[in-house]
Amino acid sequence: MNTPVTPDVPVETIPSRKKSFWRTLLHQKALLLMSLPFVIHVIIFKYVPIWGWTLAFQNYWPGKKFFEQAWVGFENFRWLFRDPIFYQVLRNTLAMSIIQLVFGMTSSIILALIINEVRLVFFKKTAQTISYLPHFISWVVAAILGRDALSTDGGIVNEILMKLHIIKEPIMFLGIPKLFWWIIGASYVWKEVGWGAIIYLAAIASVDPNLYEAATIDGAGRLRRIWHVTIPSIQPIIVIILVMNMGFLLSSGFEQQYLLQNGRVIDYARVFTIYELDYGIKMMRYSFATAVGIFRSVVSLVLVFATNYIAKRLGQERLL
Amino acid sequence: MKRKNLFLLLLMVLTVTAASALVSAQGTKVFTLFWGEPLPDYPGSTIVGDIIEKETGVKLIREGLVGDLETKVGLMIASGDLPDMLIAAHFTSLFKDAGMLIPLNDLVEKHAPNIKRLYAKHWEQLKQEDGNVYWLPIQAIPYGPDEAKYPELGFFINKKVLKEAGWPRIKTLDQYFELIENYMKKHPTLNGGKTIGYLTLFDSWRNFATTNVPQHLLGYPNEGEFVPVLENGKYVVRQYHTSNAAYAYYKKLNEMYNKGVVDKETFVMNYDQYIEKISSGRVLGTFNQYWQVQEAQEILLRDDPESILVPFPVVLDELIEEYQRDIPYIQATQGMSITTACKDPVGAIKFLDYIIREETQHLIQWGIKGVHYEVDENGLFYRTEEQKKLFLDPDWRRDVFGGPYFYNSFPSLRGIDQNGNSFMPDRQPNLIYSDSQPSEKEVMDAYGIKAFTELYNKPTREKKYYPLWTITIPAGSAAHIEQTRMKDVLNAYVPRMVMSKPKNFDKVWAEYVKAISPLMKEQIKVYQEQIDWRMENW
Repeated sequence: MNTPVTPDVPVETIPSRKKSFWRTLLHQKALLLMSLPFVIHVIIFKYVPIWGWTLAFQNYWPGKKFFEQAWVGFENFRWLFRDPIFYQVLRNTLAMSIIQLVFGMTSSIILALIINEVRLVFFKKTAQTISYLPHFISWVVAAILGRDALSTDGGIVNEILMKLHIIKEPIMFLGIPKLFWWIIGASYVWKEVGWGAIIYLAAIASVDPNLYEAATIDGAGRLRRIWHVTIPSIQPIIVIILVMNMGFLLSSGFEQQYLLQNGRVIDYARVFTIYELDYGIKMMRYSFATAVGIFRSVVSLVLVFATNYIAKRLGQERLL
Repeated sequence: MKRKNLFLLLLMVLTVTAASALVSAQGTKVFTLFWGEPLPDYPGSTIVGDIIEKETGVKLIREGLVGDLETKVGLMIASGDLPDMLIAAHFTSLFKDAGMLIPLNDLVEKHAPNIKRLYAKHWEQLKQEDGNVYWLPIQAIPYGPDEAKYPELGFFINKKVLKEAGWPRIKTLDQYFELIENYMKKHPTLNGGKTIGYLTLFDSWRNFATTNVPQHLLGYPNEGEFVPVLENGKYVVRQYHTSNAAYAYYKKLNEMYNKGVVDKETFVMNYDQYIEKISSGRVLGTFNQYWQVQEAQEILLRDDPESILVPFPVVLDELIEEYQRDIPYIQATQGMSITTACKDPVGAIKFLDYIIREETQHLIQWGIKGVHYEVDENGLFYRTEEQKKLFLDPDWRRDVFGGPYFYNSFPSLRGIDQNGNSFMPDRQPNLIYSDSQPSEKEVMDAYGIKAFTELYNKPTREKKYYPLWTITIPAGSAAHIEQTRMKDVLNAYVPRMVMSKPKNFDKVWAEYVKAISPLMKEQIKVYQEQIDWRMENW
């Protein structure tokens, strides 16, 4: 404000950076004020708790004061990387997350495309509502439904397969270790497919109708229109959601695996969260549980940045 | 966890202030209480509860267990969110390790004459390494021990099977399964459903109902994961998970699984489903500790008395002498405790002192004199047919009478008192037989016994340390990690062994032995030290 303004240059394009920054700040003060509560929220609930990471370098024992705790350096991390179960857990978590990510996203996108093509409004609305209702069921209930459906004692899946003469004897699906990842994947898709589709439907709704008209005039059929107009239009959304989901690869799932698992499939069902519970909190090894949490956070951060970078290099939309 | 810490702390502060505000407002004392078992919420008013509330002016806000106790305990300690009093089965000591329990010695000395008198016999056993007592276990035995109708554990078999086979006395595992298999062949369906030959419970921590069996097949009572064996006058801790008994047991289960006798779902069902299946009367056999099947047995007695469960002391081989019954002991390593969060420890101990005295125990266990029980000319308690009928209904007993809400987990008394009465109505001497149901009597008559425990040898072996399972392994120690790993191996391999094809059994068994063998050394060390300590100090 102190520097004199040359009259023939518009204010906005003055090359003084500092000045423009303060000016913009003043200009947007209402917006800034509005975002302030959220910034404070994030600081309190996301940044302040990082202080708790100090636990990972201690041999924490409840009831003792901070300075009375024994400091052990990287011992908890060393223990983690030497634990054979760790690699099993890493494998399971990645496998189930990737299955959920790939099938969850593709099924949601396909559902959104199909619903979008339906002309009958009533049917469209009903189908959409039914498909996203399972999202609101808690995993506790969903797991009971799943256990019942897959039961050998009159479960619907076995009944249908037997009526169709595909199998002779009921199969105990939940007792087959190799099948567990896919049961998790399938139940996840069932529960989240409709919910996931909402965002793609919103994206599709904002596609310029002129593009469809032009495509029709050029002789494109329905599938051609989906392929050449709809999908490229929602591609940026797909990439952004992919980048966001990458951050959850190592933290995905607790209730689902915890409630559907049993002793028979434990080698394939144990994910990081269950591992932290069994070998951390339950044994009062809070420091160890924290160390595992830090490991997960760091890997997640790397994954998000890596995906973001790749997306950028490919010339796609990106999050950061 | 770390992210939620602050929030939980905040929540804790809020609830604590709210609870203490309640005390002053009503004039009655309010204590919060956590107990590590899943009992439905207190109905608000029960016969026993109302009397206790009136006489003590104490109102309890209970929190029962939902889900897994070990997880709950871990979270409680991590968050520091504590009730005034708590009991969490054998995890209670973790709270002591975290410095969250207050020593009771002085409190008992000054304010609790009844506790002092009735726990006198056990007091030394209750002292921890620092010489303090932190909890009051259930079922103190102040005078003499009692006799029970049902043994602590057994291979249970459906009454229908025994009746049809002409009341045989089952001794070995082979005989047991032969009976079940034959009956199943003749009756593929029962009560409108498929007959279930054998069930074995494998639901989370309750899976000891499956994995504990090899020690019993060798004739031992319930010691836990390991068995102290008397060698040259000294108790040496030995493992049984890879013993020949374990091999024979899992092989038998494997054979029976492949024949369709063992329920296909047995390893994926949870405890509720287990009770439900047994209560349907379709289950022919199951191994368990009696308290785990008691609920189902009570439902069967009411709804399908011909299908009740009868226990047998099954061993591996005719030559093995069984001592499967417990020597009466007190669970010295767990009990009701008062936490550092309690604002009024004196009030709390006075309340517990009131609960433990004989008059209150009679109220909780027997009921009101003249209403729920009668006294004969010799001063012995008994119940009339009508009174008995009331107590047979588990729902009435819990929700209307309310005794279980002040009995389970609370300090309590058992055994025979100075007047010859048993504190537990179903253990009243001479009445065990006459108070039994007609269906139970029929079985007892057929075997010429007056209680099912008479099918077992008397627990005569004197073991001062007994039992091993009440020893707690220090949290987070090498032995503790080893124990978790060992349980993981059992969790993963037991179902695999049982469910594999018979020709693959030996291969899976070899893998199991290889996996579990290196995971016992540290635990044995801890148990041995503690057994030696107990032999010296108890």
